[in-house]
Amino acid sequence: MIGAKILIVDDEEIFADNMARLLQIRNYKVTAVYNGESAIKALEKDNFDVVVLDLKMPGMNGIATLKEIKNLGLFTETLLLTGHGSVDAAVEAIRLGAYDFLNKPCDIDDLIEKIEGAGRKKDDAWKKDMEEKLKRVIESPSDAFKLFD
Amino acid sequence: MDQNLESKKKTQYSRLFRRFIFLTMICSLVPLLFAGWAINIHYSEFAKERIIKTLQTRVDYHRKIIELFLKENRTRLDFIARTYSIATLTKDEHLKHILNSINRDFWTLTDIGIIGENGDHIAYVGPYDLIDKNYSKTFWFKEVMEKGIYTSDMFMGFRKEPHFIMAVIKNENGQRWILRATVNTDSFRSLVENVRIGKTGEVYILNSKGIYQTRPVSSGKILTAASGFEGEIHDSLKFRYLDTFDKDVKIKKIVCETWLKDPRWLLVVRVGEKELFEDVRHANRATLVSLHLSALIIFIVTVLITSHMVSVIKKRDREVERMNNQLMQTGKLASIGELSAGVAHEINNPLAIIMTEYQLLLDTEKRTPITDKTFGEQFAGSLNQIDIQVRRCTHITKNLMKFARRTKSVIETVNVNVFLREVIDLMGREAKSDGIKFISLLDDNLPSILTDPSQLQQVFLNFINNAIDAHEDKGFGTIILSTCLTKDTTGIVITVEDTGSGIKNEDIGKIFDPFFTTKAPGRGTGLGLSICYSIVKQLGGNIHVESEIGKGTLFTLTFPFKPPEDLLKHG
Ligand SMILES: Nc1ncnc2c1ncn2[C@@H]1O[C@H](COP(=O)(O)OP(=O)(O)O)[C@@H](O)[C@H]1O
Ligand SMILES: [Mg+2]
Repeated sequence: MIGAKILIVDDEEIFADNMARLLQIRNYKVTAVYNGESAIKALEKDNFDVVVLDLKMPGMNGIATLKEIKNLGLFTETLLLTGHGSVDAAVEAIRLGAYDFLNKPCDIDDLIEKIEGAGRKKDDAWKKDMEEKLKRVIESPSDAFKLFD
Repeated sequence: MDQNLESKKKTQYSRLFRRFIFLTMICSLVPLLFAGWAINIHYSEFAKERIIKTLQTRVDYHRKIIELFLKENRTRLDFIARTYSIATLTKDEHLKHILNSINRDFWTLTDIGIIGENGDHIAYVGPYDLIDKNYSKTFWFKEVMEKGIYTSDMFMGFRKEPHFIMAVIKNENGQRWILRATVNTDSFRSLVENVRIGKTGEVYILNSKGIYQTRPVSSGKILTAASGFEGEIHDSLKFRYLDTFDKDVKIKKIVCETWLKDPRWLLVVRVGEKELFEDVRHANRATLVSLHLSALIIFIVTVLITSHMVSVIKKRDREVERMNNQLMQTGKLASIGELSAGVAHEINNPLAIIMTEYQLLLDTEKRTPITDKTFGEQFAGSLNQIDIQVRRCTHITKNLMKFARRTKSVIETVNVNVFLREVIDLMGREAKSDGIKFISLLDDNLPSILTDPSQLQQVFLNFINNAIDAHEDKGFGTIILSTCLTKDTTGIVITVEDTGSGIKNEDIGKIFDPFFTTKAPGRGTGLGLSICYSIVKQLGGNIHVESEIGKGTLFTLTFPFKPPEDLLKHG
């Protein structure tokens, strides 16, 4: 999935920027923000395939941000970055609909693998959704405008 | 240091022991001995008094017998003199008959005679040749003439032998004559001495001037003066102690003295004090022996009880100390756990950044190759080290964060036997290549318990890892896992035993401390056992270690059937 759009959310700015650079080098389109609020704003403005979300942040933390993201009702998948001890939080995150979690610090290769997985899942879901909508348009074209509203 | 402490404790216990003994001695033996001795002394004084009183009564009684004897004989003489006329009495046959009848039962009188007013011996019956003697000059003749009836002291007289006489005067139709009789000295003496007062006892009589009237057995001669005579005549019974010497050996004697009424003779009874009080002394000795024997028994019992008590206290103390240590360990772990988890979290972020920087450098290096070869090698080497060291740090922080109290445990029913077999399966493959054999001695009837299997797995992986590590030098060995019920059947026991290096005595107390490790840097973090400890505690269990250097180590874990309530509720 070359060229996927990725949003990195981490309060450690250097980490977020470095991550962004590393991913850019690997041909991803990356935006880095430094807190949950900015992440939501960015998601409202733009389309992203995958959000890489730090669990522990001041203000709105990873879980809260995740909930907000889910509330937006997007296809975007979320990857959580956690510390080693916070297995419980990670499990909770998965329950809330995150794609997966990664322990910090992590290998860039591991991260990319997970991002690819998340991207594929998002695409699949998107495609399925599209197909369904198309099916419905074919079945009742009069509703088509409603669907693509 | 430890040894010092140990010996200090030992002296502390022996001091406690001594203090206990001392107190019980003070509280039991001293009063016992004190009272025992006091009662004994009191009793023997009392007994001695009684004995002396008995002696006095006997002496008094004896005096009365002697007095009665003398009086009876005087009365006899008086009776004879009154009854018979001089004419009758001067007939030899008749006088002889009288003497014989008096002496029939007891040889009382040696001889009997009649003396005229002028002192001439008119008639005489007896063994001596005294018929032609004139008595007008003798002391007793005058006394009889004066008093009418008279008993003399001992004297030699014409017969030149110690004797004493009794005489009465009779006035017959204006003619006065005297009936005189000699008391048999031997008979009198045997009468006097006829009182039983033991082997050392002696009885004798003194006259009012202190002259021996009868001879004492041990010393003194008849008719000689007795030493220490006081001469004062009285009617009471006197009692005193007297020290005599027998070849320089001091012998204490008890002397009882009482005056006869007529004549005024002193009856003296002397007994060795030792003999008299023999019974008292005997009883005394018996009491003291039993007293000291019981004191000894009390002492021994006290020592036994005290040593038992001290050992019980020692055991209690050790138990308390052990529990305190455990509490401290738990507390230490809790606070260290919080701190280290916090620190680990903080360190994690910089580590994550270093990791990304490293990857950036790696990326950059790939795209713009370094032309200088030496620098390139150096750069690549450094990058590699950064990668290795960051991973090492990550390993540490990962372990540290396991300390953080798990808010949620997944409590399930776990069949420990099945569970352990899985763990052995997991570890066995790795271990076998190291030459280590696993043996499992699992109790087939072991009931399942409620616990957190993932945490339990972590615990046993740690124990088995350590056991494998302990065989590093040997290269081969055995790890034995066993299960059984606890003795009181309130839980289960799991043991992990190895034949590895063992743990040094001074290290036993430290192995559960976080960061305590004897392994090379990079090989051991020292966190394994402390994590195990906090997990086992959290699950309501206990860990016990025994180890012998060079032989191996035995970890004994006990778990209740159910974890503590709060874990059940929150889990
Ligand atoms: N089975 C064993 N035999 C010998 N020594 C042991 C054993 N288990 C633990 N130890 C000792 O306890 C120390 C602490 O163990 P642990 O807390 O697991 O840390 P680590 O294994 O990282 O050193 C070890 O370094 C070792 O000296
Ligand atoms: Mg270990």
